[in-house]
Amino acid sequence: MRRWLAAVCAAAAAASAGAQVLDFTADERRALLRHGPWPPPWRADPTNRVSGNPDAIALGERLFFDPRLSAGGVFCASCHVPHRAWQDGRQRARGLVEVERNTPSLLNVRYQRWFGWDGAGDSLWAQSIRPILDSREMGGGAARAAALVRGDPDYRCRWQRAFGAPPPLQDEAVLAGIGKALAAFQETLVAGRAPFDDFRDALAAGDREAAARYPLAAQRGARIFVGRGRCHVCHSGPLFTNGEFHDIGVPFFNPDRSVDPGRHGGIRRLAANRFNLLGPYNDDAGGRSALKTRHVTLEHRNFGEFKVPSLRNAALTAPYMHNGSLATLADVVRHYSELPLERLHSDGEAILRPLGLSPREASDLVAFLESLTERGAAPPRPALPPCLDFPDRVGVDKR
Amino acid sequence: MEERRGALRRGLAALALAAPLASACACDLAGARRLDGSAVSLAYRTIPAPIPLGEHFALEIAVCPRGAAAAPAAPRADAWMPEHRHGMNYRPDMRELDRGRYRSDGWLFHMPGRWEFVFEAAGERLTDRVDVE
Repeated sequence: MRRWLAAVCAAAAAASAGAQVLDFTADERRALLRHGPWPPPWRADPTNRVSGNPDAIALGERLFFDPRLSAGGVFCASCHVPHRAWQDGRQRARGLVEVERNTPSLLNVRYQRWFGWDGAGDSLWAQSIRPILDSREMGGGAARAAALVRGDPDYRCRWQRAFGAPPPLQDEAVLAGIGKALAAFQETLVAGRAPFDDFRDALAAGDREAAARYPLAAQRGARIFVGRGRCHVCHSGPLFTNGEFHDIGVPFFNPDRSVDPGRHGGIRRLAANRFNLLGPYNDDAGGRSALKTRHVTLEHRNFGEFKVPSLRNAALTAPYMHNGSLATLADVVRHYSELPLERLHSDGEAILRPLGLSPREASDLVAFLESLTERGAAPPRPALPPCLDFPDRVGVDKR
Repeated sequence: MEERRGALRRGLAALALAAPLASACACDLAGARRLDGSAVSLAYRTIPAPIPLGEHFALEIAVCPRGAAAAPAAPRADAWMPEHRHGMNYRPDMRELDRGRYRSDGWLFHMPGRWEFVFEAAGERLTDRVDVE
């Protein structure tokens, strides 16, 4: 009897130990709550008149998987692979040839302010045009892309439905429309809810029982993330990124010993890009969408800065950093724990310092990062039915 | 005639006295924070308020001379995070709305924490710290 009682008590103690919520301070709770709720509400992109348009989404989806946009049979999904969280798992992207940077995931891409590791794109549609034109990635061009859309009856049909007119006569205008359809499709790629989201919402609701389902190691990692680690200063908000650019001591030499200028080069390319939001293809020309492009400044410190990546679905998007140089989340945590201060700009920000984490603290931080990953895989996408409307009305808009 | 000249002189004197007062009143922006230097006062408010983290916002600024000081030229404005030793990634503009009243667009605070506004007006440097969450 005594043994039975002891066993029951031990089981109860174990259960209560396994259902525990750390005693977070008010500051810690407030900081954690700012990482939600998830997902954010839908807001159409005012710079893209077909944002959220189902016909444009269907057109963009078909273009995304079409190798004919490329001179060498490469397509968007060659690097942004659906079953790999819309990245490729490689250290560096490989289009027609291998390039210097890692392929970022497209999940949640619609919530970003700048696009690409250097932010050379100020809209998702402009960024979608860039690899089509890049001779090392898809090696296509405006003429090839426009001819494809005009010559394929299914594309002509879908274009008519999405834009309400046939493809325009100017190749460049067709390319802008292709970028907008591709963007409309990518806007649908939103990560599902992660264990952290349930924990965060339970904290917000004061539901200790639900909060206690979140593993203790992840809770301890969350405490480091918003506390001693101050990770949330840059990885802020529901997306776990402030959308801006920082130098975190990752080498910016390319394999051929050339230098990747990072944000410095990105701002210069942005200014030179005819498809930027100050150009003729912004559908919100009089609005506030171009404020960032008009006011962004080029500073010397931008050399070697790269965009702060979102941490959502981090467990699915290895390898990490702009050059894919860190293979695992444990490697990323070790990087910050042993930060090479000598690699940071001497005139730069005074934000980073080595965290000096113990093995258990490092493991807890990894557990927290893994908890930002959605549960389960998205269901396979059904094949698009053919577009058979407007068979006699499609053509080329000669306006 | 002499009486009319006297009335005109008195009217002009009253106007001269009223001008600095009117300028001082221009610094009374509703909901604004006011900074006083030795020769100039400056009031500013953010649009929207409070400052949204990671989103563009604007400033409305009023500048007025103190005492008999001359009306100041357009102010300059910037912001930085003293603790982090970095500023913004954006350069705001400044345009005059009315005499002594300005609007500045293009502001964006990309990090939570303490930011310091730095205004320069009439050769004076006026600062104000705000916490952004």
